[in-house]
Amino acid sequence: MNSNIFIIIISSAIFYGTPLFFAALGGIFTERSGVLNLGVEGTMLIGAVAGAWGSQHVGGSSWMTITMAIVIGMAAGGLLSTLLAFLCITLKVNQTVAGLAVTIFAGAVGLSSYFAKIWGVSESPVTRQIRKFDVLGLADTPIVGPILFNQNILTYLSWVLCVTSSIYLFRSRFGLHLRAVGESPATADAMGINVARYRYLHTIFGGALAGVGGVFYSLAIVPNWVDGMTAGAGWIAIALVIFGFWRPSLTLLGAYLFGALQSLGSTLKARNVSVNGDLLNALPFFMTIVVLVLVSSRFAHRRLGAPAALGIPYEREER
Amino acid sequence: MTEQVAVRMSGIVKRFPGVVANDGVNLEIRAGEVHALLGENGAGKSTLSNILTGLYRADDGVVEIAGHRCEFSSPRDALDAGIGMVHQHFRLVPTFTVAENVVLGESDGSLFMNQDQVATRVQELSDRYGLAVDPHARIWQLSVGEQQRVEILKVLYRGAKVLILDEPTAVLTPVEARSLFATLRAMADEGRSVIFISHKLGEVMAVSDRVTVLRGGRTVGTVNTSETSTRGLASLMVGRSVEFERVVRENPADITTTVLRVESVSANDDRGRASLHEVSFTVGRGEIVGVAGVAGNGQRELAEVISGMRASVAGRITVLDDEVKSGKARSAIARGIAHVPEDRLHTGLAAGHSVEDNLALKNYRTAQISRFRLLQRRAIREQASTLVERYDVKTPDTVTPVRLLSGGNVQKVLLAREFSALPSVLIAASPTRGLDVGAIETVRERLVAAADDGVGVLLISEDLDEILSLADRILVMYEGRIVDDLPAQGADRERIGLTMGGSNAKEVAQ
Amino acid sequence: MRSPLRLERRLEQPKWLNWAIPLFSLVAALILGAIVLRLTGKNPVDVYQRIFERGFAGKRVFSDSLVSATPLAFTGLCAAVAFRMGLINVGGEGQLYMGSLGATWVGITFDDVPTGLMIVLMAAAGMLCGGLYAGIVGLLRARFGTNEIITSLMMNYLAGILLTYLVYNSFSYWRDPVSGNFPSPRAITQRAEWNTYTVFGVDLPIAFVMAIAMGFAVWFLYKRTRFGFEVGVIADSPKAARYAGIRTSSTIILVMGLSGAMAGLGGAADVGNFRRYMDPKGLELSGYGYTGIVVAALARLNPVAAVFVALLMGGLNNAGYSLRGPDFPSGLVGTLQGLILFTAVAGEILIKYRIRSNSRRSEVVTA
Repeated sequence: MNSNIFIIIISSAIFYGTPLFFAALGGIFTERSGVLNLGVEGTMLIGAVAGAWGSQHVGGSSWMTITMAIVIGMAAGGLLSTLLAFLCITLKVNQTVAGLAVTIFAGAVGLSSYFAKIWGVSESPVTRQIRKFDVLGLADTPIVGPILFNQNILTYLSWVLCVTSSIYLFRSRFGLHLRAVGESPATADAMGINVARYRYLHTIFGGALAGVGGVFYSLAIVPNWVDGMTAGAGWIAIALVIFGFWRPSLTLLGAYLFGALQSLGSTLKARNVSVNGDLLNALPFFMTIVVLVLVSSRFAHRRLGAPAALGIPYEREER
Repeated sequence: MTEQVAVRMSGIVKRFPGVVANDGVNLEIRAGEVHALLGENGAGKSTLSNILTGLYRADDGVVEIAGHRCEFSSPRDALDAGIGMVHQHFRLVPTFTVAENVVLGESDGSLFMNQDQVATRVQELSDRYGLAVDPHARIWQLSVGEQQRVEILKVLYRGAKVLILDEPTAVLTPVEARSLFATLRAMADEGRSVIFISHKLGEVMAVSDRVTVLRGGRTVGTVNTSETSTRGLASLMVGRSVEFERVVRENPADITTTVLRVESVSANDDRGRASLHEVSFTVGRGEIVGVAGVAGNGQRELAEVISGMRASVAGRITVLDDEVKSGKARSAIARGIAHVPEDRLHTGLAAGHSVEDNLALKNYRTAQISRFRLLQRRAIREQASTLVERYDVKTPDTVTPVRLLSGGNVQKVLLAREFSALPSVLIAASPTRGLDVGAIETVRERLVAAADDGVGVLLISEDLDEILSLADRILVMYEGRIVDDLPAQGADRERIGLTMGGSNAKEVAQ
Repeated sequence: MRSPLRLERRLEQPKWLNWAIPLFSLVAALILGAIVLRLTGKNPVDVYQRIFERGFAGKRVFSDSLVSATPLAFTGLCAAVAFRMGLINVGGEGQLYMGSLGATWVGITFDDVPTGLMIVLMAAAGMLCGGLYAGIVGLLRARFGTNEIITSLMMNYLAGILLTYLVYNSFSYWRDPVSGNFPSPRAITQRAEWNTYTVFGVDLPIAFVMAIAMGFAVWFLYKRTRFGFEVGVIADSPKAARYAGIRTSSTIILVMGLSGAMAGLGGAADVGNFRRYMDPKGLELSGYGYTGIVVAALARLNPVAAVFVALLMGGLNNAGYSLRGPDFPSGLVGTLQGLILFTAVAGEILIKYRIRSNSRRSEVVTA
């Protein structure tokens, strides 16, 4: 049945896109404050391993364990990002190099793998997983059922976050201040806004969200630990921030698009639809370059572009 | 009501290393008046207003706001006390709307912004004071004049009782300027005070109630505008005509040979606005032509266009009848144009590089310095040693980075490089600014020596005394145009002050 | 709210800091690593000793380390070349892949050519492919002002996908024709295999010698030629470069091209001296491009130093690889490398700035 395949694709897209969205949303907050975080991949992995540890060592009901595991993953991501924040904001180190250092440090052959070994996470499968559940019994509704009412808790959380983030960024006082910090820190400073504080808070929070994205991998997608299990999701998330024009709503859609592309190849092949899987894989990266070039042009830059002060350390001119 | 004193600054002293910017300045601003603060560059206006807005702390003196003594330790304090400043360089976020910029930084406790409420209030203020601007427009869409209105609205929104505007008409068209004056009047009529910092005499006469003139860091006078004239203000601003020590030239200028011809050159500034309007003049062999004028009237763009750093949008520049390609610095260098820029360490020199590297910055492509595209280190070093000695540059060695040298020696390095290139034309922009007395002497001697050797010198300076003493001829720049051209010998200081401030040269000459 | 400390630019940079700080960074990283080890119940001395043994002690071990170090030397050069002009090229990974692509093509195609010439041809192909690939990034940056960090990053992915496609998902030139249903890469011809010399009992790949030579060549280029002079001025002050009539746009593209050529040469070396075929999976696991950035940072962007720092990293990688097993967590290598990079960049800041307390608010004159 034709419609069946679409439902499966959309449902998978949402599933695989959720961790990408978490990490990208974190990236939006961080970049909106003017800090470029290239350590997302490493942060996600740290969150993943911490979450896996949490699910194995926190007792209690299933819900309790899962919730604590997510919280622990968040905390791990936030902690790692504090290090990045310190390097980039206080020491004003080159943000690219700092981010790469974080990724190498915590990444597939780094700290996350180390902890996995030490904590014995890689040996045994996780005892509690994040499973999809049936919302209000509506999972069997034709078409929308599997898509909307049969997802896991993190997916639903991501939808809530998408809405609240949009409100925060574009309708609240703090969101306005945040955007000012990322666009023109000198102006924000002159208006009495504490640039460093906003940058720290949003970089750490961004890392926490990336940690949650990582937890999705270790507790929902592959309920087990594998070194480097995010397989580049962190880098995709970085591209996603640009692709979504630094707006949560567009980023959510982009995440699902990228998620679809990730699962599309295998889904279609299984149904004997011949498709060039590599072309699909390449599409997100290629499109990000196109978006980036477009966004750099004078015309687009003002309407759609990156926060103007992204990647530039801020130093108040001593007067 | 008009006799109430809104701001009183008494005996303000502010010192910086090497200079006393404010030397016992007194200023009294009444409620409900538009008060102009007039003075040349370096007179102390900016420093004074920075103290009033909390950016600097005075070394001595008292500031009273509405009768209460105040000490500001940050701009926030001044804002809270009702002092609002509209800067020359706007502090706006380009991608935000007007309303968002106005309300930025406000913390009235609410979590969410009521955009409509803010927009309404902005519209109210906008209508009340004639500051027409759309609260929902984005800053980058607005003209400069409109952006300035946003800056004013920012200050009004926070209930400022005293508004300070620093050279506000520098970026406005005449129509916008008139509109601004109407706004200022409206604010003053309400009981607010406006401090209008300017060097433009005509405008000061048009908009202010009283004028305080600063010169050399001191208050030279406070007058009622109705009781004075542009001439009177000009003489207060630049001082009495004193007989000047004019420099004695060995070889007088040969004006029959033109080395530099600038024909109808127009150019835009970094923001794309027109900054030079059909500028035309010539410089003869061995002639020192001084360009007088308050900073910001196009001098920087003029220097950049002639030296090839900036492309012109119209006009021609020729050196000894050879055209210089617009916007190509290499062409200018090849034609023999030397340039000692205002920004010594970051434009004229590569601050982190050594003395010898900087001395080779323009001629590293020549045959002696680079053979087969390889830099001949020895040749560079020899060149450097020779120049360092000849120009008396005090440096531990030629490999020291130039940023470690003192101001005077930095300038000497620049001069050494530019002079030794045996140029036909030399543009010197603010060559003695910030230097100590000895260095100033040396630089001036070098400029004269170059002229004696036949170099056509274009001396752009904010120091009128310097121009009067060194130049053969004086051009006055105002708003991107040459508004006066007169011989330096016996030049009327007042006349220059007037034309610098925008008065029509023909009228003044009568 | 002001922070209690602030950074103040140093006026003078004592020369001894130039090598002292990287050394201290290394030591600091080792100490931090030791702390991590201790906290997780391992004996740092023991671990470090084993790393040293398996990384550097002994001829066999050293030879293996050279194998790991050689590509790193090239990617280190790649990063250093670009960073010195302030261009952040994180695309060394993809540029290396493209170099591998080009060199493999040459290696497969020519059979009757003497090895010496093959090496030259493969090297040239590698440099050309890598250079062009990076040149695209440079062009986008020079022409549109597009951020080279993200573009070069995206290009890494595109290159990886391309290589995977060519070997595993298509019947391309680079796929072994006899591999049937289990695709595998096609090997270069016998003549195309690069030499390895035995020197004092250590296997010295010719590629490593090339890396050293390249290191000196780049050093020479930057220090002694007109081009290098121009690059230095642009990096110091773009305004001064404009003032002096230096053409910035074309320099950006050339520097990126050179940077990519270095990585591309690394790819050629990897194929020619070591793997003998284009290996998408293996290359992805190795992550030479990213590690190269660590190398460049620790070498403080000095091209010659980069080659020797690569030796250090190569030894570390090799040790990690050969020690892997139940009682040696593989994650240690990345952790140590990350720590080294942290301390290296922090140290770099200390060279340029000193830390001052913010208790007295001072005022500075601006002219």
